[in-house]
Amino acid sequence: MFISNPFAELVAFLPPLFMQAYIVLMIVAVASGTIFDVLHKRSGEFFARQRAKSKAAAKRQLSGMDNVSLAVRTLLKEVLTSGEFHNARRRISHLLLFYGFVLYLVSTIVMVFGYSTQTTVALWPALWNIGALMVLAGGCWFFFFIRVDVAKEGNSPFRLVRADLFIVSLLLSVAFALLWEIVQTGGNLTATIIFFIFYISFSTLLFLGVPWSKFAHMFYKPAAAYQRRVETANGSSDLPTPAGRREGR
Amino acid sequence: MPTFVYMTQCDGCGQCVDICPSDIMHIDTTYRRAYNIEPNFCWECYSCVKACPMHAIDVRGYSDFAPLGHKVRVLRDEDENMIYWKIKYRDGRVKEFSFPIRTTPWGSIKSPSDYEAPGADALSSPLLAHEPTALNVDSLPTLPPKKKTGVMP
Repeated sequence: MFISNPFAELVAFLPPLFMQAYIVLMIVAVASGTIFDVLHKRSGEFFARQRAKSKAAAKRQLSGMDNVSLAVRTLLKEVLTSGEFHNARRRISHLLLFYGFVLYLVSTIVMVFGYSTQTTVALWPALWNIGALMVLAGGCWFFFFIRVDVAKEGNSPFRLVRADLFIVSLLLSVAFALLWEIVQTGGNLTATIIFFIFYISFSTLLFLGVPWSKFAHMFYKPAAAYQRRVETANGSSDLPTPAGRREGR
Repeated sequence: MPTFVYMTQCDGCGQCVDICPSDIMHIDTTYRRAYNIEPNFCWECYSCVKACPMHAIDVRGYSDFAPLGHKVRVLRDEDENMIYWKIKYRDGRVKEFSFPIRTTPWGSIKSPSDYEAPGADALSSPLLAHEPTALNVDSLPTLPPKKKTGVMP
């Protein structure tokens, strides 16, 4: 089960072109949803204004190499290792979600486009399952125990608000993907179709819901982290400088 | 001068929710970011500003007595146990100050949610929450019982 391509068996009731077209549509939905989000919330305008303000207040001009170095440091710390989280539990859960989602997404695309009609290399279905399980582990831990609404506000973990749209649709999409794979291996066509419909519905909600969910944080959080680093480096940050790092000491 | 949150910097960790003595820092249901639900009731204690690990909380001066872009920013350094302040005056001068904060490590004091919730009978007790244990004493002094005063014939 964990080493066979679940999408290859879809040919029993769907042509391979369907899933390929669906993935392209979802990529378009994420791109257009993010652009809509940036324009609607005017976050692009906000970042441009912050950048101009920071440039005007800069005490030293940064070279191109400085900017590249800051971008690399942002990538290594804030993006790849979720370094902005000060709480170790949140950081581990976020890393599980991030890398699980990347594995799950990449292996889905490879299996749908590369191996829709031929035998799949066992690595990709294994990565797909590992990614899905990582998302479920990190996501359920976050949703039921770490989520600020539960841990700090004291609300029930089952109280849902709009901020939960992203995590709930992601968890349900991944959970139904695994359930669909299990029933498909069992050979029950009706159950396979039902679970597949749930899987596709929640995946569609995840990707179409970008303008209303927290999906776009994947793009603007690194931008905000990079901007913070630039402000510290060019001296325009309004935060105090720790005594040991002040000039003349 | 109520607090406000830079939404792009906040990561919704809830430290401010825990520490706010007025219980007015809460989490927004749309973006899961912190916000001040009742700016009128903020007494500018700066607890949340200092507690925020992302430096996402700032304090807005009322324009009638703090106009022309003054600013007070805080940076908490847990490793050094220091609080750094940066004051930007209305005439453009900038001053920075450093103060030691405490002798115990940050986070070593239990948050209210770590204590057992008091029962309903605690309402009629003269003791405040978690007294006397939180004061590191066995008991608190109490007034002697009131003497009965008879009615003069």
